[in-house]
Amino acid sequence: MSSSFSYPDFSNVVVLDNGGGLIKAGLGGERNPSTVLPNCLLRPISSKKWITPPPATTNPNSDPLDLTSAAVRRPLDRGYLINPDLQRDIWAHLFTTLLRVTPSHSSLLLTEPLFTLPSIQRATDEIVFEDFNFKSLYVADSPSLAHLYEASRSGPTGRLVSKAQCSLVVDCGFSFTHAAPVFQNFTLNYAVKRIDLGGKALTNYLKELVSYRAVNVMDETFLIDDVKENLCFVSLDVPRDLHIARKTGRDNLYRCTYVLPDGVTHTKGFVKDPEQAKRYLSVTHGDTPQLEANKKEMDQIEVTERSENRKREVDFSKNEFDLTNERFLVPEMLFRPADLGMNQAGLAECIVRAINACHPHLHPVLYESIILTGGCTLFPRFAERLERELRPLVADDYQVNITTQEDPILGVWRGGSLLASSPDFEAMCVTKAEYEELGSARCRRRFFH
Amino acid sequence: MDDDNSNPFRRMSSRTRKVAPRMAAALASSDNRTHAALARLEALENDNAGIEQIEINEDSDASLDDDDQGYMQKRQSKGTKRKTRQAKALENARKAPRTFLELLNEASLESLPPHVPSYLKAAVGPPSSTSRRHFCTVCGYAASYTCVKCGMRFCSGRCQNIHNDTRCLKFVA
Repeated sequence: MSSSFSYPDFSNVVVLDNGGGLIKAGLGGERNPSTVLPNCLLRPISSKKWITPPPATTNPNSDPLDLTSAAVRRPLDRGYLINPDLQRDIWAHLFTTLLRVTPSHSSLLLTEPLFTLPSIQRATDEIVFEDFNFKSLYVADSPSLAHLYEASRSGPTGRLVSKAQCSLVVDCGFSFTHAAPVFQNFTLNYAVKRIDLGGKALTNYLKELVSYRAVNVMDETFLIDDVKENLCFVSLDVPRDLHIARKTGRDNLYRCTYVLPDGVTHTKGFVKDPEQAKRYLSVTHGDTPQLEANKKEMDQIEVTERSENRKREVDFSKNEFDLTNERFLVPEMLFRPADLGMNQAGLAECIVRAINACHPHLHPVLYESIILTGGCTLFPRFAERLERELRPLVADDYQVNITTQEDPILGVWRGGSLLASSPDFEAMCVTKAEYEELGSARCRRRFFH
Repeated sequence: MDDDNSNPFRRMSSRTRKVAPRMAAALASSDNRTHAALARLEALENDNAGIEQIEINEDSDASLDDDDQGYMQKRQSKGTKRKTRQAKALENARKAPRTFLELLNEASLESLPPHVPSYLKAAVGPPSSTSRRHFCTVCGYAASYTCVKCGMRFCSGRCQNIHNDTRCLKFVA
């Protein structure tokens, strides 16, 4: 450690964004994580053993694992580590076979959700230092990393963030949604607001709807995840969209068929007609001329459509199901959790409350740089809807500017990779010696959260 | 054969007798509906984990030991001391991962001074407007009617019939 530019040191930092849904892991300094894998153990119905899932980045040519009705065990519950043993198994697999690092010669940059309970922090430290013997550990929270990444990017959007040195990070992930103001790379934790809804709840909600209305898919987590990712979108005008979704035949721009796997020719479900699935894009603002055009067209071919429709419904009872209003009512829950019976405010209000809890001088700059990160922000039109809901709640003289990340799932990891390659990273870490000397609680104070 | 026929019948009849007063209580109080709503929200965080299966296995082990000779031998050769049921239960409880809510209760965040940010204080809180949109639980469209028995919403007579046939009182009873 004589010179501050010893590259081998930097490349030995393992950056691990330990999400409730996906683990993003790789070496510090790289642009993309080398491994993205589901943070769970699986037991397909064909086997009796729990196995680690294949990384999401494997080439599609390799034999895909049949995940039909697979049981899932996750080490994280509601975003927090509850099963350290399970996490240790998954990490062991990750470090030895996927990343191929020797923990005793590497540092670890680990993300941890905000407000992690002390007992969980202790358990995490135990895994990192006692089971894996990492040289040193840095614990970061995801909003500050997402901010760091956006601030580092040059360009019209990145410039503003870096000038003000603060932003509001909306992290809409697998387990929950946080609106967190970040000021000079520190998350202002007194102002963070959380909605207890994330991708997992949305998937389960969709599961419930499909199971009640069409086919029982209560055990098909991965299948419904795929349905959600491919077919769900955020509505810009719910009453109008409900009206459209109710129509029959070609007039219904939202109806879409998803084919279930049959276990013989294909083990993964797929969207029957991708063109049909994209038709919602033709609905734009307010009254739509396209709709009228469609109506005329519809009149001409109504008779043939009807018979076709009937055919479709016969098929539907076998191995496919139709989605209409579910496609937008599911992501809708993020904006109005009250509709689900949850006593929590929606995303727009959550952002306003988080910002109001900050110093008034920060309000205009925070509204100007809202960063969306996390997998749920991938729903089409998410940012557009959020801006529409947010604008009426914000004072007129404040500008509202919402930045979407190009890859919201990896944004936090990339921030971590940047931090890990900064020259003073090693100085910020807690080393194993310090941990052994001072214990978990004392070391944790260094991370200011 | 005779047993097979009479048993389920008897069980069923006793069950309906048991359920009826509970159902009446459920109908009387609105509290059960909030319980049901909370349970439903809780279910949104569920995994389809097979954790229960492990427990079932161990239960069946315990009941098997009278008649399965092979199993008895295996067990005696393996374990020197016979574990009592209580010890087993304790061990299971220790091994079983606790849910986040249990850990949260243990951490007793309520006792922190009011200026310390914590998990509980970070919750966004109730919405400013109390209005709630209602969607039909059967078809998903705007629902203007409420089931008098269970409080779920539906939009039309057709959906009401489906609701009554399929899941009315499912959560409350």
